[in-house]
Amino acid sequence: MADITTGKPQPAPQRKGLSDRQKDIIQKFAALGSLVILAAVFAVTSNAFLTVNNGMTIALQVTSIALLGIGATYVIITGGIDLSVGSVLALAGVVAALAVKELGMPVWIGMLLGILTGSACGVINGLVITKLKLPPFIATLGMMLIARGVALQITGARAVSGLGESFGVLGNGSLLRFESIDDQGFPVVSFPGIPYPVVLMIVIAVVASFVLNRTVLGRHIYATGSNGDAAKLSGVNVPRVTAFTYIVSGTLAGLTGCVLMSRLVTAQPNEGVAYELDAIASAVIGGTSLIGGVGTISGTFIGAFVIGILRNGLNMNGVSAFTQQIIIGLVILGTVWIDQIRNRK
Amino acid sequence: MGGVSLAHSEREPAPLLLKLEGVSKEFPGVKALQNVSLELRAGEVHAVCGENGAGKSTLMKIISGVYQRDAGEMVYKGQTVHFTSTLQSEAAGIAIIHQELNLVPHLSVAENIYLAREPRRGFMVDRRKLRQDAKRCLDRLGVDIDPDAQVRTLSVAQRQMVEIAKALSLDASVLIMDEPTSSLTEQEAQLLFRVIRDLKREGTGIIYISHRLDEMAEIVDRVTVLRDGRYISTDDFHTITVDQIVARMVGRSLEEKFPTPTRWPTEEVIFSVSGLTRSGIFSDISFDLRRGEILGFAGLMGAGRTEVARAIFGADPFDSGTITLEGHQLSIRDPRSAIEAGIAYLSEDRKAEGLALKMPVDANLTLANMEAVANPFGVIDQELHRQSSQHYVDLLNIRTPSLSQPVRLLSGGNQQKIIIGKWLFRQPKIMFFDEPTRGIDVGAKLAIYRVMDELAAKGIGIVLISSELPEILGLSDRVAVFHEGRITATLTTRDASQEDIMLYASGRGRQRH
Repeated sequence: MADITTGKPQPAPQRKGLSDRQKDIIQKFAALGSLVILAAVFAVTSNAFLTVNNGMTIALQVTSIALLGIGATYVIITGGIDLSVGSVLALAGVVAALAVKELGMPVWIGMLLGILTGSACGVINGLVITKLKLPPFIATLGMMLIARGVALQITGARAVSGLGESFGVLGNGSLLRFESIDDQGFPVVSFPGIPYPVVLMIVIAVVASFVLNRTVLGRHIYATGSNGDAAKLSGVNVPRVTAFTYIVSGTLAGLTGCVLMSRLVTAQPNEGVAYELDAIASAVIGGTSLIGGVGTISGTFIGAFVIGILRNGLNMNGVSAFTQQIIIGLVILGTVWIDQIRNRK
Repeated sequence: MGGVSLAHSEREPAPLLLKLEGVSKEFPGVKALQNVSLELRAGEVHAVCGENGAGKSTLMKIISGVYQRDAGEMVYKGQTVHFTSTLQSEAAGIAIIHQELNLVPHLSVAENIYLAREPRRGFMVDRRKLRQDAKRCLDRLGVDIDPDAQVRTLSVAQRQMVEIAKALSLDASVLIMDEPTSSLTEQEAQLLFRVIRDLKREGTGIIYISHRLDEMAEIVDRVTVLRDGRYISTDDFHTITVDQIVARMVGRSLEEKFPTPTRWPTEEVIFSVSGLTRSGIFSDISFDLRRGEILGFAGLMGAGRTEVARAIFGADPFDSGTITLEGHQLSIRDPRSAIEAGIAYLSEDRKAEGLALKMPVDANLTLANMEAVANPFGVIDQELHRQSSQHYVDLLNIRTPSLSQPVRLLSGGNQQKIIIGKWLFRQPKIMFFDEPTRGIDVGAKLAIYRVMDELAAKGIGIVLISSELPEILGLSDRVAVFHEGRITATLTTRDASQEDIMLYASGRGRQRH
């Protein structure tokens, strides 16, 4: 088998302009660059912006978008969409709260139950899409209504409060918080610590990125989105891979629900409305293609921070919530447009 | 337009319709065309030949206004023209039949033919006239296609015919045909040739691009050869041989179209299919595959060859029948179980079913065998992954700037080699090659034939499905001929002629096995 050459030295196909890899890097830096510019602008316009405390506040605010965004990235790479995460996180949060309050379960078991509720919703989404063969948009739209309905039903549309201090640890606690007692006996915070949700977000992002880039499963996720038929004919279990991404998305929604409710120490069945759109937006701003086959966790991470910093910085500058929506909408249009130009040949 | 009917006598040459001189086009980093010239007379079929990447498509896109030339002259009917869109060139009377089918699947045949040119009555589409006009176009082609049928229900060949009908409906004076016969059967191609002869008589100039050089003798008047974006030659077709054309295309003499076999077919049956049936699609398909042989599947489009291969591979279901590999009966539920059993299938549609186009070369090469480059936890061993991919890139001489190049940027021949490499990495026992050389240039074809021969020599059973009879005859040891979902004959290739095969493929021969 050594000699299967055509005998003719064909020139390697020349590339037109930049290679895709170079374009990828430019895209990354473009997003990262705009992030830095945003931060710089806000740092100038507001004194309180560039402080450790505000940095932690932003990171905390970004966690829910980023966690949901990671799930959205998985799903969108396969060419799907998950509209149900906002409702699923509410359902997961109230399940966790009710388990603790009504059934008297320990907090960690209650939270685990909440997260598993999210996974279960993901399993159902996955089965409806791969077995009943409904389009992902419809399947998850159905789940969006059902999960929200169930959350409102089991709580009687009332917030679940009085959960006890331990319920708030996950959302409000910090790692490496340094305090000292001053002369008067008051505590002084020398370093506010890294909030647990932020730690969670970073760990999960690293794991999710590793799975996507370095494992067989990750490769199969890209292949499914890039060309499902070719993947199937190459022996990839396309339905199982597809369902897996919805389970990831649902589980992360469950986790996000627990974190959010823990932060408020109250479970709100109306929490998380329209969060799925933030999640999708962060993935899209980060370069994930809605056609499938393309997307990275690092991109989504940047996308989540763009949204988070915009919200935070605009707030600090006293821009109204309505105007914020307009600006974020324009940012989404702008970044996707730039992405399109980049990909146009 | 249509009215450019020119009674051209044999003595004086017909008037020039189109003349390109010194045309150049550069893309960033690539000189796609350098100083290319071409002229087309009324009533002439002018073939443009060249390997993939020779610049044929770029030249056609310049003529039809998709691209603008950087330098050179283009004179159409005596006037220098600068088309900036296909709308302009179409309005001027230049129509193009695309290689990739550009039809809207959910509209009817008639609606597709007159898309954006629908006959109107006031604000409404005149449906009756639309239907009648479409029918007339289809009748002129001599094909039996219902103008009301939705395009998505048609076969690839029928769609190609609709595409041709659409171009005819423009009544163009210059017609560009880019690989019009690549998905047509022999008979359908003949229908097309008849129409081409009619058009010639009416004074239409036709630019004809095809990889099937053999069929050109029937219709082509002159042939221009391009190589690497440069103009090589223009000749009267009857003064030049196919081998000479090929030699000019590849820039060297090509002694042989098919490699001298290095394999020695044995009598040992490694794979056998018996009584395979899928109701309404194929029935009672039985054949044996022997170690070291290449078995051809011949037949017309829609005879059930691809369907049988897909059923054996687990991509489509079947109702009854047994499949035996090396003495063990297989139960195949899906492609995964077929692959695990040692069966590989190279799909006829490379881009739709063979490759993950956005993914890089290495990821495509290892896609069917990820377990081999990963630890038990599914974590990819980067170094092993790189080495394995590089091994097949070297082995198959795949031309790529790097392993991380997305495969969509590679040529058709190199893409096909990547799919072959993907399957070789699985070390299959038998391989189905479904139209392995469709749309691939001559040099790359020979490379793929060599690979197939060498695989057979190593003891892998090979099934070749092809619509090109010379390919079947040149490459396979035995040939199973399909007609309407049945095998009507199994012939030894040495004793078979093209006519024999056509006889059985059209259902006229008596059953013979």
